[in-house]
Amino acid sequence: MSQSDPNRTYVESTIIMTTVRVVVPFVFTFGVFVMFHGAESAGGGFQGGVIVASAVLLLAFAFGIEPTRAWLEGPLAQLAIASGGGTFALIGLGALLSGGAFLEYPAYGFGTDGVKYGIELVELGIGAVVSGVLVSLFFSLSQGDFQSVGNGGGNGSNNGNGDGDAAGGERA
Amino acid sequence: MTPVSTSLAVILTFAVLAAIAAILLRDVLNAIIAFAAFSFGIAVAWILLAAPDVALTEAAVGAGITTVLFLVTIAKTVRPGGERLFERIAWRSVAIVAVLVGALLTTIRSLPAVGSSEAPVATSRITEYYLQNAYPETGVENVVTAVLAAYRGFDTLGEATVVIAAGLAVLLVLRQEAYV
Amino acid sequence: MIDLLATHYNYLMFVALVAIGLYGVTASPNLVKKVIGLNIFQVGIFLFFVTSGYVDGAVPPVVHGDVAGTYASPLPHVLILTAIVVGVSLTAVALALIVRIYDAYGTLDEEAIREVQTE
Repeated sequence: MSQSDPNRTYVESTIIMTTVRVVVPFVFTFGVFVMFHGAESAGGGFQGGVIVASAVLLLAFAFGIEPTRAWLEGPLAQLAIASGGGTFALIGLGALLSGGAFLEYPAYGFGTDGVKYGIELVELGIGAVVSGVLVSLFFSLSQGDFQSVGNGGGNGSNNGNGDGDAAGGERA
Repeated sequence: MTPVSTSLAVILTFAVLAAIAAILLRDVLNAIIAFAAFSFGIAVAWILLAAPDVALTEAAVGAGITTVLFLVTIAKTVRPGGERLFERIAWRSVAIVAVLVGALLTTIRSLPAVGSSEAPVATSRITEYYLQNAYPETGVENVVTAVLAAYRGFDTLGEATVVIAAGLAVLLVLRQEAYV
Repeated sequence: MIDLLATHYNYLMFVALVAIGLYGVTASPNLVKKVIGLNIFQVGIFLFFVTSGYVDGAVPPVVHGDVAGTYASPLPHVLILTAIVVGVSLTAVALALIVRIYDAYGTLDEEAIREVQTE
């Protein structure tokens, strides 16, 4: 916890790294399972999406935020968000083209099974949007490339008095 | 009228105590930890209230993602410490809160008892309709999913839009070129 | 009165959570703790909604063919499910604004920010 390092958000820990390495595959699989299995049991896009996002956050916590960001480099999150939102909107518009109302699944003419798989696809789209947005929210919030005002030295300081004068932290 | 089950009452009391701790603890890190405990208690309460879908989301969001976002924020800003463990009570706020509590408490008596089978939501025609028609009409056994994606699909598209808009707003506020 | 406590406990806890949340938003000088208060307020509202859909002895609304039996109302669950995810997104926006405020003012204390502004 040195005060001189402003980007001190990561401390390597063998225990956490080992645990996360064991746990994350299961968390991720569980999240995808919840996403796919929303029709038969508790679950769905929102629930699965947040579990998948929390698996990525676990990785970031154990192995450092920057390495995880580098590992996920590329337009993965954008792609997830865009394809998820696109799937949802296109399924809605497709029903419109097939002569029904917006998102009227029976208009596709595949019977009850068609409705069910339409719902599953929409849930997957929601899951992609939710996990993509939450992961990118976390990464953009934790990106530390703007410190225009001084005071950077006190970042994350454990010692509140160090910031007290500048931050007015002692005011009640 | 059966009283609320003991386990539900215990877990809700725990959640309220954790919420009080989250507000009154002076160190923000302690407050965030208390908030995570509060979210966990509430997630258990959702299970006891027969809402496993909400419980799954609350456990991952409240005790997981929100907590991590708070932690990242205090790592990037300050964490006012001090020698006192708790905040001083702000009596002006207590007065404001007392007005709200007074107003809400007058309405409690007119609400149906918890779990009453004559409660308006439980007996409403819309609940009846969803429970009876969701499976025959959509082939989806989980009525929550059916309502979410089919009956209220347009509303859910709006929610997805709000989530995307929030992601864009964070980017805009933090003015970063790179997205992830 | 004791009777009311036993039968309406969830609603009393809803009032308590809303009160705690409002107190946190108005009383805490620290902006991060105001957001925590906002989240607690929000969960109080969720408790009200989910409780309203609950019936004694109800099982989760997963219907396997026949509808015999007591089910919790699915509608409040749907509303709250989406509200939780929207809530975490909005919390992230609030926290991003807080990070920017700290960047500009060097403090998260409400009074100190107000003083800097009037200077």
